[in-house]
Amino acid sequence: MTEHAVSRESFAARIWRKTLDGAGVKVGLAWVALLVFAAVFAPFLANSMPLLMSKNGVISAPVLQYLSIEDTWVLATFFIALAVYRLRLSTAKRILLFLLGSALAAVLVNLFVKPPVLVIYDDFRSPAYTEADWRIMPPIPYAPTDYLRDLGSKGLEAPLATEGHTHLMGTEENGADVLSRMIHACRISLSIGLIASGIALLIGVIVGGLMGYFSGIVDMLGMRLVEIFEDIPTLFLLLTFVAFFGRSLYMMMVIIGVTGWSGYARYVRTEFLKLRKQDYVQAAVASGLPLSSILFRHMLPNGVAPLLVAVSFGVAGAILSEATLSFLGLGVVDAPSWGQMLDQAVKSSTFNWWMAVFPGGAIFMTVFAYNLIGEAFRDAIDPKLSSKAGVNR
Amino acid sequence: MSGPLLEVRNLRTYLQADGREVRAVDDVSFSIPKGETFCLVGESGSGKSVSALSVIRLLPQDVASHPSGEILFNGRDLLKLDDPGIRAVRGSQIAMIFQEPMTSLNPVLTIGEQITEALQLHRPEMSDAEAEQRTIMALEQVQMPQASRRFRDYPHQLSGGQRQRVMIAMALACEPQLLIADEPTTALDVTVQAEILRLMRKLQDDTGMSMLFITHDFGVVAQMAQWVGVMQQGKMVEVGPCSEVLRNPRHSYTQQLLAALPENLVKPASVRPHSQNATDQTPLLQIRDLKVWFPIKKGLLRRTVDYVRAVDEVSLDIPQGQIVALVGESGCGKTTLGRAVLQLESPTSGSIQIQGQELTGLSARELRPLRRKMQIAFQDPQSSLNPRLLIETTLTEPMKVHGIGANHEQRIELAGLLLESVQLKRDFLWRYPHEFSGGQRQRIGLARALTLNPEFIVCDEITSALDVSVQAEILQLLLSIRQQRNLTLLFITHNIGVVEYLSDRTVVMYKGKIVEQGETAQVCGHPQHPYTQKLLEAVPRLSL
Amino acid sequence: MLTYLLRRLLLMIPTLLGITIVVFTVMAMSPGGISAQTLVGGMDMKPQEKQALLEYYNKRYGLDQPAPVQYLRWLNNVSPIGFVTDEHGKRGEFSFNKGMDLGTSFQYGRPVSDILAERIPITLLLNLVTIPFTYLIAIMVGMKSATHRGSVFDVGTSMSMLALWSIPTMLAGVLLLGFFANVQHFHWFPTAGISSREAQDMPFLPHWDEAGFVRGFLLDRVWHLVLPVICLSYGSFAALAKLTRTSILENLHSDYARTARAKGLAENDVLWKHVFRNSLLPLITISAGLLPSLLAGSLIVENIFSINGMGQLAVEAVKGRDRELVLSITWVSGFLTLIGYLIADFCYTLADPRVSYD
Repeated sequence: MTEHAVSRESFAARIWRKTLDGAGVKVGLAWVALLVFAAVFAPFLANSMPLLMSKNGVISAPVLQYLSIEDTWVLATFFIALAVYRLRLSTAKRILLFLLGSALAAVLVNLFVKPPVLVIYDDFRSPAYTEADWRIMPPIPYAPTDYLRDLGSKGLEAPLATEGHTHLMGTEENGADVLSRMIHACRISLSIGLIASGIALLIGVIVGGLMGYFSGIVDMLGMRLVEIFEDIPTLFLLLTFVAFFGRSLYMMMVIIGVTGWSGYARYVRTEFLKLRKQDYVQAAVASGLPLSSILFRHMLPNGVAPLLVAVSFGVAGAILSEATLSFLGLGVVDAPSWGQMLDQAVKSSTFNWWMAVFPGGAIFMTVFAYNLIGEAFRDAIDPKLSSKAGVNR
Repeated sequence: MSGPLLEVRNLRTYLQADGREVRAVDDVSFSIPKGETFCLVGESGSGKSVSALSVIRLLPQDVASHPSGEILFNGRDLLKLDDPGIRAVRGSQIAMIFQEPMTSLNPVLTIGEQITEALQLHRPEMSDAEAEQRTIMALEQVQMPQASRRFRDYPHQLSGGQRQRVMIAMALACEPQLLIADEPTTALDVTVQAEILRLMRKLQDDTGMSMLFITHDFGVVAQMAQWVGVMQQGKMVEVGPCSEVLRNPRHSYTQQLLAALPENLVKPASVRPHSQNATDQTPLLQIRDLKVWFPIKKGLLRRTVDYVRAVDEVSLDIPQGQIVALVGESGCGKTTLGRAVLQLESPTSGSIQIQGQELTGLSARELRPLRRKMQIAFQDPQSSLNPRLLIETTLTEPMKVHGIGANHEQRIELAGLLLESVQLKRDFLWRYPHEFSGGQRQRIGLARALTLNPEFIVCDEITSALDVSVQAEILQLLLSIRQQRNLTLLFITHNIGVVEYLSDRTVVMYKGKIVEQGETAQVCGHPQHPYTQKLLEAVPRLSL
Repeated sequence: MLTYLLRRLLLMIPTLLGITIVVFTVMAMSPGGISAQTLVGGMDMKPQEKQALLEYYNKRYGLDQPAPVQYLRWLNNVSPIGFVTDEHGKRGEFSFNKGMDLGTSFQYGRPVSDILAERIPITLLLNLVTIPFTYLIAIMVGMKSATHRGSVFDVGTSMSMLALWSIPTMLAGVLLLGFFANVQHFHWFPTAGISSREAQDMPFLPHWDEAGFVRGFLLDRVWHLVLPVICLSYGSFAALAKLTRTSILENLHSDYARTARAKGLAENDVLWKHVFRNSLLPLITISAGLLPSLLAGSLIVENIFSINGMGQLAVEAVKGRDRELVLSITWVSGFLTLIGYLIADFCYTLADPRVSYD
């Protein structure tokens, strides 16, 4: 390759820099980073079993033994993402590499990781594990589904109210530690946000792209479809889906995705129509460039920005939807979820404030964080009101 | 005489933009006698608009400041007035009209309401009925047809020229002593501009008011002003009586500006090797009965009730090696014609042949090899280049698709040569469009049009958005490129001066049809069609 | 204008049909589908009740028919134009005004139309009170932010508006209920419902009599509505306030505002006589999209505050898999939304003289 002088910043770099300019977005990104950390390393942060212990001179790591397939895969994906990020490749290649890597990891993990099927948490408080030379416990020594039967937990106790063992955020109705469940619930929230939005984005881009490209009849039909999905009260459709189809996590992700694509379709269609008229697209057509280049090199990168703003808000919306469903009693059953914990706040006659404040606060912070990021991004790409002086220039 | 009506002394206006302070007006002085017109001329960024806005202190207070200077109006310093004081002056003693008639009027109020508002603000004792009367009189004064009916119209129901008349009526309603006009005719068609300028001169004669006229067009200066001031980057470089400054400019910048006008540009000795026998050679481009009609759909079932006839049965030959200018006012169809030739718009019917090959009705694949022969350059420097791509990619991608250059290195070499041929540095290849000025971007646009080595380029108003001096450079560049590569150009424009400088043949369009065509000297010297005559008459000329 | 309205109304029909098809399909596609078993299974009902139910469904839909046919039969029953069916489900003649038969809800044992007639006004009341309230506050806040751009108020509100928008409705509801309507903390507001039990007997307006201050029906309603309305409105007025601010700022810097200043108008007059009306236009456009989100919000708010409106009904209907109710609620809410769009469009034409619909 010929050596050439490093160019000044590209369009993308400029937008990114402008986005990161404000204070709000930094808070948002910090929170999201925290969530990602919690989601990935949950088994190491909140678990009833020791991280590392030495018994009679033999060092063992019970946590690693009990890592589930899901845990391992999440960890693997995280490190693959980090690795891919550092490589200097084009964005498209990086995404492709990441997807391949995580698919491969899924296969490998399924083949090789076989944790014990039954886990009895009380065991970890038995002498077999407590009488050791030394042991390092996770910062929060309770697993999310550890109902602390052996400790006589009565459930729904306020923070720091239980004698004998500290629960920083209290316990929930079955006796499990709230903080532990919250950390593990990060995974569900994040994945719902990402997967549901991903599905919605995919459908929206395809429908919107087709509408923008073909116009005419396709456009009219597409608009009717978009209108239908817009007009159905989403929550209601979600409820209907869940009530009739059953309550599994994956089902919920798909459903939230399938009901939320109309906004993306509209955006894509508008951008498409606008971009088609741009001079540089016309120049590309006049130069006889192939359709794929016009679509993916000229139109798509320039139209993607508003979409990203929408995605940011969309992820927030998806998380809210899941929480609402759980709150109404239609969410996932056993796995920890913030919405489900929020529901428990008003169940009994007393107002269990810690069940409202902590999970509710987590939902709020997450939604707020995504909204902040979306806002900052939007302000960066829309330079309209930056500093006009009202002069004719 | 009791001295000039307006006297500006050592005015400074500083603006805050993006955290930096810009000296928009830097120690400017001029004066306007009663009943006379003073023109402020300059290119974009010269500070002429800011000066005008400073006179009535219309700049936002959080952004603009006037560290020094005086603005004496009838002896009173306007800069020292308090807020109610300056508001009493605005609209009643000094009035202002602006450039964009479309957006300068409030779209949700009728024009009658907007004019009476000005009246009743400064003459609070006036009754509603009297205000209405005065308004209709004002509209008649600006020669608005059916003035009393127009009273209840909304701005969007009027044409551009009519809206500008409304603006003038609104400004004149309270009989001001000074009218400030900030490029009032720049956004209007040439014929409409001529009418508005004539109207303004008549009004000045009738009322004896003074005018401060901002413009960038020296032809307008020659027609309107007794005095002229030339501004450059915030400073007033030359002031004086109009006739003197225009005929014997003393400052080098003024001389530069005047020399850059198309009518003053020196055309290089035209050696046209191939087009001497223009008549017996097949024209490069043959257009026959071209129609580009857009359907208008109305009614419950969206039936097509009528058509917008953008291009209405146009037949045209473009000889090889010549520059053909396509002239007309807005809406005449010239841009649509240019795009239709390149198959960027689908013709409704008719035929377009390039070197004998039919273009209409071809599939995209069949069209591709033919696309090498014809390219296009656009008007708006902001949107003509893909902001995401390096210049290198923009230039080499078409090469790659059409198989020019054996490998990437060669293509980069060719791209570098292209940049040099438009007088830009080679290492601009590695930059992004936002790092360049408007003129540079237009050059890059031309380079892009040249990548496939075409025979024919459509230039769609490529200099209309540029300053006069930059325009001159681009025009001269265009001529030299045409010479080197024996190009045929279809130059779309509304600027007659450019037409006369640049083109060999001229085609005049009006409402989708060609009304006159021929050799430029013929068409512009002895126009036959009444529309062409009207068009040429309307152009403001320097020599008056 | 008339043609435009007609066109829109006509276009509404396929959308409404589409909505009902989607919901029907969801129900049909669910595991178990729409066979007789799923409809009656899982409910604690006496055998004769089950029998009655099966008969009812068979009459209306023909339970052995495939899904599309069942849908068409439902459509026929519901639409005012169609075939008249007698009590045995046989098809009669075609009629143009046979009336809409929405069926009977087995959960409540009453005709759906009755239930809806009871519940819809309550939800409408809640939403119709919320909308002006939201707009009023949003416009006030937005206007102050725009005119004092960069001030502490502006920066503070913009951050808190975003935060407000992010609070999930149920959290807000739960917190409001927990802190302000609870004996444990501040019992300022009633816990549930939309009026007290004695409300029906109260005179309408507040007044004094021998016993002291009597609240009166009106005030009682208002008192009950305070918390739910706050809960329903805070999300939208964050978005609206931001939109107002943006719109006003844009218009303050517009060319026509500059012309107004050049005429000598004071800044305040520029704001109120020129900028204000133009700034409202995007707000009207967005009001159309407000109704669906408000209806969704009603779902949660009614649930938390135990208000017997349509939202609450929807949740119960879905949980109880009451097909008649679910379908009817679907198209009624779809219908309300579309009407909302139409009204918003109409208001827009009134406000903006540039727009003419043809």
